Amino acid sequence: MRGFTHYISGLAAATFFGALVGDLRLGILIPVIAAAAAYFPDFVDFKFGKFLARRDYEIDPAPWDEKKHYAPKLVKVSELSEKNRYQFFAIEGMVEEILARGSGKVSYKVLREDGGEETVTETYNSIVFTLNDGTGKITVEAFGDDYEFFEEEFGRIEGGKRLLVFGYVDLEEDGSLKLVVSDAPHPQGIAETIARAIEEAYREGERIVKIHNIRLPGDVYRRFWVHPDPPKREVRVEMGPIVTPGGVAIGGDVPEYRKYGVAKVSVPFIKTYPKPTRIDSFSGPEIAFRRAEFKGKTVVKDRFLPWHHGFSHSLTMGMIIGLVVFAFFRLIGYEHATELALASMIGQWLHVFEDQLGFMGSNLLPPLTKDVVPGFKLGESGSGLTNFSTAWLMIAFMIWNFNRFTDPRPIPISDAKLLLLLAWPSVIGFGIAIAKSFRLRKEISELMDYYTNLEAFEEMEEVGGI
Amino acid sequence: MVPLSDLLIWSLAGVIFGSLISWIPGFHIFNIMALLVAVFGVGELMPVQAFPFFAIGAIVAYAYVSAISSVYFSVADESAVFLLFPTQRYLLLGRGHEAVLLYLIGAVAGTLFLVLGALFIFPRVLPPIYQATSPYITYFLVAIVVFMFMSEWPKEGDRGRTPGERLWLAWRQILGGILVFFLSGLLGFIVMNTNLLPTTSAYTRLTPMFIGFFGMSWVLLNILSNPPMLEQVPDDRVESSLYNTLKASFGGALGGTIAAVYPIITGGMGALVAGHMTSQRGDDAFIISQGVNRVIYYVGAFTLLFLPQLRLTRGAAAWLVSSIYTPKSYAEYLAAIGVILLSAGISFLFTYYLSRFIANSFNVVHIKKLSYVVAVTLVVISYLLTGPMGLAVLFVSTAIGLMAAAFNTRRSYCLGGLILPVLISMTGHTGYFMHLLGLG
Repeated sequence: MRGFTHYISGLAAATFFGALVGDLRLGILIPVIAAAAAYFPDFVDFKFGKFLARRDYEIDPAPWDEKKHYAPKLVKVSELSEKNRYQFFAIEGMVEEILARGSGKVSYKVLREDGGEETVTETYNSIVFTLNDGTGKITVEAFGDDYEFFEEEFGRIEGGKRLLVFGYVDLEEDGSLKLVVSDAPHPQGIAETIARAIEEAYREGERIVKIHNIRLPGDVYRRFWVHPDPPKREVRVEMGPIVTPGGVAIGGDVPEYRKYGVAKVSVPFIKTYPKPTRIDSFSGPEIAFRRAEFKGKTVVKDRFLPWHHGFSHSLTMGMIIGLVVFAFFRLIGYEHATELALASMIGQWLHVFEDQLGFMGSNLLPPLTKDVVPGFKLGESGSGLTNFSTAWLMIAFMIWNFNRFTDPRPIPISDAKLLLLLAWPSVIGFGIAIAKSFRLRKEISELMDYYTNLEAFEEMEEVGGI
Repeated sequence: MVPLSDLLIWSLAGVIFGSLISWIPGFHIFNIMALLVAVFGVGELMPVQAFPFFAIGAIVAYAYVSAISSVYFSVADESAVFLLFPTQRYLLLGRGHEAVLLYLIGAVAGTLFLVLGALFIFPRVLPPIYQATSPYITYFLVAIVVFMFMSEWPKEGDRGRTPGERLWLAWRQILGGILVFFLSGLLGFIVMNTNLLPTTSAYTRLTPMFIGFFGMSWVLLNILSNPPMLEQVPDDRVESSLYNTLKASFGGALGGTIAAVYPIITGGMGALVAGHMTSQRGDDAFIISQGVNRVIYYVGAFTLLFLPQLRLTRGAAAWLVSSIYTPKSYAEYLAAIGVILLSAGISFLFTYYLSRFIANSFNVVHIKKLSYVVAVTLVVISYLLTGPMGLAVLFVSTAIGLMAAAFNTRRSYCLGGLILPVLISMTGHTGYFMHLLGLG
């Protein structure tokens, strides 16, 4: 659920206590603590946990220019190394020597809609030259669609011409660096790092990968998808269009020949959510790959945002919050410290319960429970339907409670009738959400059944892998 | 009530007046109306009973036509501000006219919501709900403020080299927001509770402060960033879906209604709440919901002045009008709804054709030059309304508005200028704070 949905649940929790409502009517605003307590789990995770969490691998496909805070970063040739392979940079320098100019044919594999591969052959124009920026020189290569753009931008490339070239770093056959003209990083680097993390997690127990997003000038983002594919034992990454922070695609699709990155994984792994991970605006995700037992076999399981839905999202934390609130407000002499503590605890518990309606689940009662209890999969956290239904229900509760605790009642009808009149939109919303969730739950269930009988697991067993 | 013919004439005069000034960046209909009343008075120019209808025409026009200034004349280079508004992004992509059309879709939806609500829902539902919840307005207000702070999304921090650096980068922005809120609040408290501004400016004492926070600071950003004037495509084409339109309209209506009914809660705060409640995403949805939100917030709030069973005074225009004449009959309420429909139709056409005209000739006058003219005009308005001390308030509030941009935080934190003094007053602590600041 979204933050405000949790927050408003805390606001509503406070109104169930007549003493607190009485205080509010007198202008004593302390009960707002209950709302802060309800939002507290996300506040801790997103304002602290996210930044303090461990990162074993940090994938930054397009490092930011430190002054402008967007990519590509303007670098010197001498700063680049093999570690920067597939990353997106800009280099400013002078054309030193034209090494090749011509046309030819290029073959590359593309992924069809059905997931199969297809080999495409195209004719292309190209240019290869060396660029010197005063700190060193690098080979620059432009071909295919990128060559067309490059020529449009700079005209005919000749020795002595100054250029600001964008592209991704790659390696020549002899291991030397080259810059391939492009408007995006190559996805292969992302795929290879994730595959390596999965393999290491299988051996070592856990690897956490931070994937940064790609921010471009004009507050737009290059969207890309990461799709670990267990049946095929591979990680696929697809470079997508340029999008606004609001998710509207504004063109800028990359050519097919540098759209996909595929890396094979040599160990079994499963993905707990059926859709690929999409990365565009705001910040990129963290994914933990953890060794786990699944149907008696050792596999690597993914966990999205490993710093999220931990201890902060447990019922235990709710009790701690209640005790702290009680102790503090009793200490400062607040008359209704007990009611406030209960409202704060219930507010935090409502947060845990509301998140449990989604996918991620939470570790509900640590230290008694050690692992996450899977969510009920009623809807995604961003679902407008479940968010609205919950928030509206809380508004209904607030109005209902304000009315109950006021004498004479401003709305002079029975409690049951008033609640029914206020809450019907939420009842309908939840009904639709439950009906819609059946399809997704079935899809996930089928996926898990499929993993159970995955041939790839059996093949590994035959060769003694598992 | 004035005769129908007079009512129509004065409503049309309001629409024309509102349309002619609302496209200019930094101008706000409330300020201009206050200036009009201050300079010319009302009783002599028009019958006092006609003033509410003149005002409603002007406010409807503002709710529609101000889309032009927010789309075409508030651009900023991406190096000057970290996060651009969706309308600015559309402009930078040459799709300013499309942004205006999306806004107009929302504005029309907002008008329909408002008119249907005013006819069938508000008279029955609003009075009891308002009566049950109004004693707790301070609770809602402080809750929204606390949520604004708690939910600030750190835009930086991800790329720090160490956990400590990441935490600092994230919190630098959050702390900057808190600072902006409290500085605004301090300024607002002084402006509201001292005789810094002349008593003759009773109705307009907040005007220079708000011009500084939201108008002048924006205009200065235009001048400083010197944005490129990109060619605009004037095609009548929008990219959205029916689902997005309906969802955005619903969210916008919800946010606009909250802001219209409850005092101090502004359109931006209402949009924040409703956006979270309905989990909105997408630039098209954002712009559409802005159209709905602004119509309901501005026009809806003013319409409550006409609602016989409730007669709430919401917004500066309503306070200004009610000080001269408050509508009393149900006939006036129905007439106001009719004026809203008529004004919306005229404003829609005016906005549409003006947008086409500006899109076709966008790079004729550079926004930087226009911004200089507007900056001077805003200074003149502030001076005329509040005198030399008003200019001092304008200077300070402009600096605070620019701080919000520099800290990369929500500009709505500047609403601290209104919220903080009101909260202090509502909780009965004005005297204590006056003493604390050495002001009394």
